[in-house]
Amino acid sequence: MDMDKNNPITFKVQRYDPEHDGTPHFQEFMVPSSQSMTVLDGLIYIKENLDSSLAFRTSCRMAICGSCGMLINNYPHLACHTQIEEFHSDTLTVKPLPNLPIIKDLVVDLIPFFNTHKSLKPYILRQDAEEMENPTAEYAQVPHALETFLQFTYCIKCGICISACPTSASDKLFLGPQALAQCYRYCADSRDEGEKERFPVVDTDHGVWHCHLAGACSEACPKGLDPALAIQLLKRRLVSRAVALGKKQQPSSTVPSPAETKPKLPFPEFTVK
Amino acid sequence: MRNTYLWFLQLVTGILIAVLLGVHMVLMHLDAILGFFGVYVNDVTSWGSMIERSRQGIWAGLYIALLAVVLYHALNGLRNVILELTPSARTERVVTWAIVAFGIVAFVWCSYVPIALLSA
Repeated sequence: MDMDKNNPITFKVQRYDPEHDGTPHFQEFMVPSSQSMTVLDGLIYIKENLDSSLAFRTSCRMAICGSCGMLINNYPHLACHTQIEEFHSDTLTVKPLPNLPIIKDLVVDLIPFFNTHKSLKPYILRQDAEEMENPTAEYAQVPHALETFLQFTYCIKCGICISACPTSASDKLFLGPQALAQCYRYCADSRDEGEKERFPVVDTDHGVWHCHLAGACSEACPKGLDPALAIQLLKRRLVSRAVALGKKQQPSSTVPSPAETKPKLPFPEFTVK
Repeated sequence: MRNTYLWFLQLVTGILIAVLLGVHMVLMHLDAILGFFGVYVNDVTSWGSMIERSRQGIWAGLYIALLAVVLYHALNGLRNVILELTPSARTERVVTWAIVAFGIVAFVWCSYVPIALLSA
């Protein structure tokens, strides 16, 4: 990384160590910048060269793991997916994601977030328990059935939608856009029969009906998902079940695995000795 | 599905408010437009005209229905706002019952006048 070409950037990083600090405070670091440098690169530079006690989460550096969600210039971003030059500023303010408890510095506690996600049973639920436990074949799914929920499978559980959501800010018991979108993702899956188990969780005073449709979750999602759309589709699904409107499709049946329908091609013989 | 029914009713009452309040607004304030369609009303805001309308079952029913849907729509909305700002199970019970009680009292009190006029 060529650090000499561009001006240094001032990183104003929120620091908070619950064992020593009463309240969060800001600390400034001068970081040499270069073209295409990400905010995460800047934080790693600080940790390696200026202050090794700075705490933040990171793993993949390519917007896949969802570890490095943080508030950069007062907007939630993935630090690895955000270039410093996007801001056209010599100063960057970096804070932990709001609406989540702080563990230390930029690290937030994601356990309540994951627990809410788990409470919605984010996996295929079927009545045929024996087939689920000991599968003998695959469940069939046509491409257009997959497309009804495909975008919601790209969620990386970074917590950015929760931190952008105004309802999550005012209602601490609100399930949040991530969990609600995942609820829709599984209920809309043609292989799933879990509506009866998931609907009582989302049909509460702090569930799906408290979404104001602000759309901040969709605006902020670093993977380009539209959780606000999923929540509206989930509302429609709940109402259509409650007033017995709309067709409820039967879950897809099993099909023989490809190995049984089509024999494998023989491995080609090497022609070059 | 309790919350789903509550929200669905919120939608239905919203539509009903648009219709019933629309009738009220057109009658009270847009008599020129009614004249355009060949309907002529005489001084709808006068005391005598109001009493005369209230003694007709259809108008009394319309206003009592408007009262009911406005009360539901407003109080359910208020309940949602309060529960969002003060999230706890205890608050939920207290707020729900306080709002139900207020709604019943308001409905009985406010619908007394048209019912009394209708039966006079």
